[in-house]
Amino acid sequence: MSNIVGIDLGTTFSELAMLNAIGKAEIIPNADGDRLTPSAIFFDEDSPGVIRVGIEALNARHLNAERSVRWIKRHMGDPNYRKEIDGKIWTPVELSALILKKLKQECSAEHGEIRDAVVSVPAHFDEVRRKATMDAGASAGLNVIGIVNEPVAAALYYATTREVFGKVLVYDLGGGTFDVTIVDVKGSQMEIICSQGDHALGGIDFDQKILQMLEKSYREEFGADLINSDEDRAKYEDEAEDIKKALSRRSVAKKMLYGPAGSTKIEITRKMFEESIDSLIARADILVEVALEEAGLEPAGINKVLLVGGSTRIPLVQQRLEKMFGFAPDKAVNVDECVALGAALHAGLTMLRDKPEAVPAGIASGLRDIILKDVCNHSYGTICAPLDKETGRRVIQNRIILKKNTPLPCEASQMFYTMSQGQTALEITVTQGEDADPAYVNKIATHKFELPPGRPAECPIKVTYRYDVNQRMHCWFQDLQSGRTLEVDFCLDHNGQSRQVGIQEKTSQLEHVTVQ
Amino acid sequence: MSQFNSHIRSSVLRTAYCVLGLLRAQRAAHACPTTRATAAGCGARLSVAPLVGQGLSTLNCRAQLTRQKRDDTVFDAFTIQIAGSIRAASDNDRATVQILITDVTDGTHKAKPVLSGISNFEFQISNFPRPVFFYRADLGRIPDKVTTLSDWTTVAHLNIDWLLFPHKGKRVLRFSTSVLSGQTDQELACAECSFTCENPDFGYVDLQENVHRTKTLAVALALAVSAADSRLYHAEVCLIKDWARTNILENSKFKIQNLKFETALDQAVSFFQKGNQLDIYKVCKEIVEIAPLCDRYDILDLCLQVARAKGTVAAGELTALKYIASWLEVDMDRFRTMMEKVLPVNIHQVKDAKVVLGLGCDMSREKTRRQLNREYRKWNSRVTNADPEIQAQADQMLRLIAEARSQYVG
Repeated sequence: MSNIVGIDLGTTFSELAMLNAIGKAEIIPNADGDRLTPSAIFFDEDSPGVIRVGIEALNARHLNAERSVRWIKRHMGDPNYRKEIDGKIWTPVELSALILKKLKQECSAEHGEIRDAVVSVPAHFDEVRRKATMDAGASAGLNVIGIVNEPVAAALYYATTREVFGKVLVYDLGGGTFDVTIVDVKGSQMEIICSQGDHALGGIDFDQKILQMLEKSYREEFGADLINSDEDRAKYEDEAEDIKKALSRRSVAKKMLYGPAGSTKIEITRKMFEESIDSLIARADILVEVALEEAGLEPAGINKVLLVGGSTRIPLVQQRLEKMFGFAPDKAVNVDECVALGAALHAGLTMLRDKPEAVPAGIASGLRDIILKDVCNHSYGTICAPLDKETGRRVIQNRIILKKNTPLPCEASQMFYTMSQGQTALEITVTQGEDADPAYVNKIATHKFELPPGRPAECPIKVTYRYDVNQRMHCWFQDLQSGRTLEVDFCLDHNGQSRQVGIQEKTSQLEHVTVQ
Repeated sequence: MSQFNSHIRSSVLRTAYCVLGLLRAQRAAHACPTTRATAAGCGARLSVAPLVGQGLSTLNCRAQLTRQKRDDTVFDAFTIQIAGSIRAASDNDRATVQILITDVTDGTHKAKPVLSGISNFEFQISNFPRPVFFYRADLGRIPDKVTTLSDWTTVAHLNIDWLLFPHKGKRVLRFSTSVLSGQTDQELACAECSFTCENPDFGYVDLQENVHRTKTLAVALALAVSAADSRLYHAEVCLIKDWARTNILENSKFKIQNLKFETALDQAVSFFQKGNQLDIYKVCKEIVEIAPLCDRYDILDLCLQVARAKGTVAAGELTALKYIASWLEVDMDRFRTMMEKVLPVNIHQVKDAKVVLGLGCDMSREKTRRQLNREYRKWNSRVTNADPEIQAQADQMLRLIAEARSQYVG
């Protein structure tokens, strides 16, 4: 039996956790003995064929930024992002796969074969990004048995290691993304109420604010730019991160800036930093309020606030939460590790549900009492053309059928009607998104549904969507008069033969790549 | 640009005369010599006065505005009554009644037909937006060869909702009532009467004129938006002219008409280029009076397209658009939705959070907070859109929302 692992594929750091013999999750350190591995990649020009991932890659950015990649998670699912190295084009999926491969190979070396894994993603990741994450796992040679939302994973670990009852707000402010999830916890039973996320709010945005202060200060003193190359930028990005971390511990951080026009000492106070990140914190505050509105709760209805992610160490973050909820947030779990640990637990639960015979008895016993009820991550709908009451015209509209945050498994139906006499086909579109305007939602499938000829307008078409606990969606489009039905299936792990072949090709390509 | 309106008006009138002529010719073809004489005799008589003292040798008719009830529905109707003599070909002849209504407010030489709003009573004539109202119903058997109705006898209740008048306001209607043979369709007797009533709604001629007037005013508003930043750009003028050619001129192939049209457009452009200003409020007020809501949204869309034509939107243009939307009495949330789509925030020369995020000057902190949360929820769901332009717009909007939160909510 292979090991069951959970991986937190983070924007700035990644970790791997494994279930031990009694079903407890443990972080597996990398080959350097570090529990966190920087999500940085460096294509070493001195050793062709060797790709460095982790701390070495992070440091190498200062020497050759052009051959370095960081924060690739922010580009996950972006078809336009490409990194060209020595004539080879690397996609976000392939680059993420290198990070996962590093985690996998170093854990395997110490603990034996790693195959079945759950990888965590931000709660707000859409299907495209989730699928890209799964593809990255598959390319790295993992059997990705599931995807778990990062705050859900954190809550899972939290609730199974502490005595917790009541409504818990998980505040997950990581390196690049921010999620808020509200969970109803009754011991080891958890029901997710809702999740909200911001894809572009995290530690690197705070670092950028400090970097702007450094640049401004240098320009004011010397009338020259501090940063003149990608390597300079990489260096001062890391300096900015150090200053941010220092300001979480002290009220002032001092730094020497060695710029092209001369060197200077700079002092940044916590107050200056807090003022600079005020709009980012405001954005985080809004997300918390939106999550509370979604859950139909007031701040007083929350029993605990759980901090997850390195950026929650910023004192202002904690102060704002204390002000909003009237009590200090809970820092009881390791904010950097709890997602990976929870992902490992989630992997165990998934294996128990789908392949119980493959789960060792000790692990099965350890996970026996845990019950997790998740929700639908997004709204799913279809495109229709109702009459606009105000103008009397037909408008093309996205009509939501399955609403975001509906408890899983869920099913919903709506009735639609054909528009014209003699209509012989319907253009069926499955959408993902919250907007009524089709321009603002993602169209995840389009099909033509043939109808019988010679019928009047207004023939009823029943549309039913079902979403199961394995994040598989099944859609039916039923023409009630003729009985004809069009069925569309979506799942994250199976998307037709060609897709599978593509991933197998990438896996074999990456097998020949040496990751250190 | 009034030549376009007059062109339409004259074409409508020509068609109206054609209709009346057609109907008269049709009736004359079926009329017997006796009844023609009768008809001529009663044609000048208005039967609104009591029948007492009038001769019963001819047919008389009268119309009254009454309130009727049918199937639990109460409605206003013209009740048509007849009295006098009807001459049939034989005893016990079946008869039908036929009623046509003509609007003679501007005199008989400028008469216009009343059109039908109900499919049961219509007569299709080309060049009219709808068929002419044409009531026909069975009268039953006429007992004698010459039957005299000594009392007013009701022959029809014409629901006012069935009728489409040519114009709004006080209308003089002429009701032409004929009794026809059920067997041969020959006219046995006829009478006419007039009735004056108030039409509260736009008539079909008004509506056609309004459509063209609205389009003309739309061009004026679009030019005003273009000039709001003190300069009319070539791209903006081209867009407006193209719109006008398509929508007002409807790509006419008549050379003279086109020439006149282009001259009128150039004059309008020149008016704004010289720095003259339009009373936007007045124009909007007129549009509100004559144009349905959907047309007002079309005008707004044109104005938005004009504002984006040069690639950036000036603060003055945004202000003008905001006022136009408000004065056109459209839903302001819907206007903002249109604006988000046509004028993404990245092309705004000045990013006015209050305009872009729908924050009113009189909003309390709590209301502002809720509005910003609503906006955040909306844009946050768009930030992962497949379209990179929408992604970029959403990113920018989220930053703007966060800044507004810091500034107005704290």
